[in-house]
Amino acid sequence: MDRNDEVYADDWVDERLAKLSGDSEWYPNVVQALARLNEQRRGGESRRRGWIWALASIALVLCILAFPTARNRIRALWDSSHFNGVNIGQVSASVKTLKDGQAAPDFTSLDADGHSVRLSAYKGRVVLLNFWATWCHGCQTEIPWLIEFESKYSDRGFSVIGVSMDDSGWKSVKPFIDEKKMNYPVVIGNDEMAKPYGLSSMPMTFLIDRKGKIAGTSVGVVDKKACEIEIVSLLAK
Amino acid sequence: MSTRSGAWEDERLREASFDFEGTFRAQYERIARVIASVVRDPSRAEELAVEVFLKLWRTPQAQGESARGWLYRTAVRKGLDELRRRTRRARYEALLGFGRVLTPEDIRLANEEREQVRLVLAAIASRHSELLLLRSQGLNYSELAASLELQPTSIGTLLARAQQAFRKEYIKRYGQK
Repeated sequence: MDRNDEVYADDWVDERLAKLSGDSEWYPNVVQALARLNEQRRGGESRRRGWIWALASIALVLCILAFPTARNRIRALWDSSHFNGVNIGQVSASVKTLKDGQAAPDFTSLDADGHSVRLSAYKGRVVLLNFWATWCHGCQTEIPWLIEFESKYSDRGFSVIGVSMDDSGWKSVKPFIDEKKMNYPVVIGNDEMAKPYGLSSMPMTFLIDRKGKIAGTSVGVVDKKACEIEIVSLLAK
Repeated sequence: MSTRSGAWEDERLREASFDFEGTFRAQYERIARVIASVVRDPSRAEELAVEVFLKLWRTPQAQGESARGWLYRTAVRKGLDELRRRTRRARYEALLGFGRVLTPEDIRLANEEREQVRLVLAAIASRHSELLLLRSQGLNYSELAASLELQPTSIGTLLARAQQAFRKEYIKRYGQK
């Protein structure tokens, strides 16, 4: 294409593009557009704030879930509110645990004073086996009741055994026992001990009859009255 | 003060000194007209023009002396995107056979030279369409270079290529008129 053709092409294209020049009668409404723009700016700002809040909430939840201590505390709080009122002898269908009538899995461990505690040695007595932890609020609620049961019924063949699942061990459990004046043996638990009982959350309590068989299970804080009735009934057998 | 916080301060200062509403009042009509030349529908052009300014508000780097060029470039791209979307949709509808029945108005529009120019612009490369559209809005070479972030010395060559591409596509579709 020579120079003349280029000039021709220029004019030819410009001529066609000139047809795009819009309707000269049309005038865009600046005031209306400004109002619309401001509305969208406000909407965008509140949407952006909403997103920031949502992301911050997700980050907070992820942080909580990342730390086992925080996770366990939340689970304990949930359990204590969710399962409060579960009668001893009843358990949520979703929890896979021991069934009534099954033999209570045996274990041997040392208590705070260094004495050996063996579950099978309690055969002939009614035992309340309580899995707990110092950080568990639900556990703290029911421990005074267990102290009361121990002092009230131990003469009639009843014993409470506490299994603490604290990761820090005696360091945190011993001062807690002293502070609460716990009158029953407490041992430090581990996964090996907890697994056969299907420990899913805390507190978790098992009533074991004189033959060493499971007579009742409670996930969450026990129902004090129902638990005491059950103990009395098992003692009478 | 660290470099990062210094840059942030500069950005805040620029944002504070930029007269957004003044720019809107001065440029809105022109920007809406640029878009309307591509999308045909004036009310849709106004909607898109507002979107262009919303984007400017959300882009602090574009606020300042270069705002005008940025607005033109964004407006032309917005208009071309809309035009291509419509063209694509019409093609798919026709292909799949569930498109609406053509009205006499549609047929008249399709034969109108203005509509044919739009279809050619939607068909050629974006860099060519952008250049031709901004040129048709009366921007000179230096303004074109600033708007499209190109070297001013290369504008002449690029424009000539864009015109050739347009002419070729137009003749292929509608013949030499």
